[in-house]
Amino acid sequence: MAILALETSCDDTCAAVIDADGTIRSNVISSQEAHDRFGGVVPEIASRHHLELVNVVVDSALERAGCELSAIDLLAATQGPGLVGALLVGLSTGKSLAAARALPFAAVDHLQGHVAANVLRAADGSAAPFEPPFVCLIASGGHTLLALVREHHGYEVLGSTLDDAAGEAFDKGARMLGLGYPGGLALERLAADGDRDAFVFPGSRGDRARGRGPGRQRFLESLDFSFAGLKTALLYKMRELGEQAAADRASDLAASYQAAIVDALVDRCGRALEHTGLRRLAVGGGVAANGVLRARLQELDAEVHVPERALCTDNAAMIASAARFAPALAHPAYLGLDAYASGERWQPGEQGRPGEQGQPGERPR
Amino acid sequence: MTVLGIDTSTSGTSVALLLPGGAVSEARDDPPAGAHPGHATRLLALAESLLADAGLGWPELRRIAVGVGPGTFTGLRVGVATARALAQSRDLGLVGVGSLVALAEPALASGRVLAVIDARRGEVFAAAFGAGGGGPVELAPPAAVAPERLREVLSRCALPGSPGSPRGEGGAAGEGWVAVGDGAVRYRSHVEATGVRVPGDDDQLHRVTAAAVCRLGVGADAAATVVPDYRRRPDAELALERTAPRGT
Ligand SMILES: [Zn+2]
Repeated sequence: MAILALETSCDDTCAAVIDADGTIRSNVISSQEAHDRFGGVVPEIASRHHLELVNVVVDSALERAGCELSAIDLLAATQGPGLVGALLVGLSTGKSLAAARALPFAAVDHLQGHVAANVLRAADGSAAPFEPPFVCLIASGGHTLLALVREHHGYEVLGSTLDDAAGEAFDKGARMLGLGYPGGLALERLAADGDRDAFVFPGSRGDRARGRGPGRQRFLESLDFSFAGLKTALLYKMRELGEQAAADRASDLAASYQAAIVDALVDRCGRALEHTGLRRLAVGGGVAANGVLRARLQELDAEVHVPERALCTDNAAMIASAARFAPALAHPAYLGLDAYASGERWQPGEQGRPGEQGQPGERPR
Repeated sequence: MTVLGIDTSTSGTSVALLLPGGAVSEARDDPPAGAHPGHATRLLALAESLLADAGLGWPELRRIAVGVGPGTFTGLRVGVATARALAQSRDLGLVGVGSLVALAEPALASGRVLAVIDARRGEVFAAAFGAGGGGPVELAPPAAVAPERLREVLSRCALPGSPGSPRGEGGAAGEGWVAVGDGAVRYRSHVEATGVRVPGDDDQLHRVTAAAVCRLGVGADAAATVVPDYRRRPDAELALERTAPRGT
C-alpha cells in the first residue's frame, strides 16, 4: 500500500508518498519566501503560491517515490487547523485526485500530523519509529500543545498556549532585537554568546522562583503556556537599558529571552511526564529545531525522541503517517469535506467547519 | 469531445457536462444570501451527479474547462485546484475560460453585453463583449473598477457613430446593450445611469454558467496549466508599497 498526502496549512507546499509501514518514499517541501518582507505569513499570498506549486509538488513527490498515481491506494490532505484559503488548495487537490480514481481519502488534523511524524521510518535509517504511548510537545509558530498520546490515532490535550505560540514568541523577540523575519534561528545564534541569567524574563526558572499571587500560582501549576507577556517584558527591559546598552547587551537579552521560552517548555514537559507517569517524550514543530531546547529536553528523565528537522517543520510525510491510522473515507463519502481554521480546538471524530481566514503574522504549523 | 465545465467565480457553484453531440447538462448550487458559498463542499458531488446521470464516469471525460475569473479569490482557487487535479489524476485536457466572457455569452444574442461581477469592497469586475462570427469579441478587457466608473469602461468600446454604442455621456439609452451579472444587479442604478439595460434581478442571465464555460472551452486549445485571473493584487502587497519610502 502507498499513501500520497498533501499539506498546505500555512506557507509550505508539501506532498509526500509513504508505504504502509510508514517508510518515507518521498517528502517534497516547497517553502515560500515571499512572506519575509511582510514580517509574517500573508494568507492571500500563501494561498496564491500554494495553487501555483501544488500540482508540480505532487508530480515531484510521485517521481521521487518512483511511482505513478495508479500505484497509490490512499490519498490524504490536511483539513485543519490552518489558514482556510491555503488549506482549501491542498484539500481540493487531494479530494479531486482521489475522486477521479475512486480512491479512499483521509482528512488529517495538522496537529495529529505532527504527532504522527514520530512514527515515520526512513529507508536509510535517518528516521526510526517512536511508538506511543508518549507525551508529545508540539511547538511551532502557530501551535503550542502538550498532548498525551496513548494510541496512534487521537490524543488528549494536557496543555496549550493561552495566547502566543512558542515560535511566535521567538519571531516577535527577534523582530524587537532587529533580527528580521523569520527570526528563530537568528535569535538562537545571537543568544549563543550571551548569558542566559543576565535578565529574568517571565516563564524562566528565575521567574518561577519568585513569589506569586494565587492566580499566577494556579497558572504555573497548570500545563498551559503563556508567551504574550514575554515580548512586553523584553520591550520594557530594552527601554530601561536605553538604545546603546540594549545594543551592547543584545546577546544577553537574546539568551535570557530564549531561556524563558525554553524553560517554560521544558518545565511543562517535565511535569507532564510526572503527571502521566510516562517516561517517553516525543517532539514536533519548528521550534524543535532549537538547539538549546533539544539539549535541555535530553536532560529530562525520559526517553526523548526529536525527529530530524525536515520532519519537525511542516511536511506531508507526517500527514501521510497520520493517514495510516485515521479513518479513511471511501469514495464518494469525502467529496463534501471542508477545511477548518486556526484557533479551533479539534476533537477526534469531529468534522471541521470553515472559519475566518487568519490574519497576517499567523503561522500555524 | 466530452467536457466537464466548472465555474466558482461568484458565490454560486456551477458545473456542466457537454457531450460529443453538443448536448449540455447543468447542475448548480446557489447559497442563500449571506450564507457560505458551497465551492469546497458541493463542487465534486455536483460533477459526479452529472456524470452519473449521463451514465459516464471520470475515464470517459476528455477535457476539463474551468472559469478562471476574475471573481472571489478563494472560490477561484477551489475551482482551479479541482480542475487541475482532476486533469492530473486522469490525464485530461485542461482549458481556462474567462468568467466574464462566460457570463456574457448567453446574453450576446440580445446585443452587446457589459458583464459585471461583484468584486466586493465597493468595486466590480467588468468587461464588455460583442457577438462575432467565431464567438464573443472582447470590446473592453476585464478590469476592477468602482461602479461609478462603468461609464468609462463603456466609452472605451464606444466607436463614434456606430449604432450599437451607448451614449452614456448624455444619459441617453444605450441601444442594443445589456448588462448582466451579480455586480449589475447590486449596482443597478449605476449601470442604468449609463443607459444600459439590466434584466430583472432574478433573470438567469445574471449567473455565470459552467454550460457557457463548456461551450467556450470545447473549441479552445488545451493549456499546460491554468491559473486564476485575480485582476487584483493582494492587499498586503499594496499596503506595503504605500508605506515603503518612494524610490526604494
Ligand atoms: Zn505545523
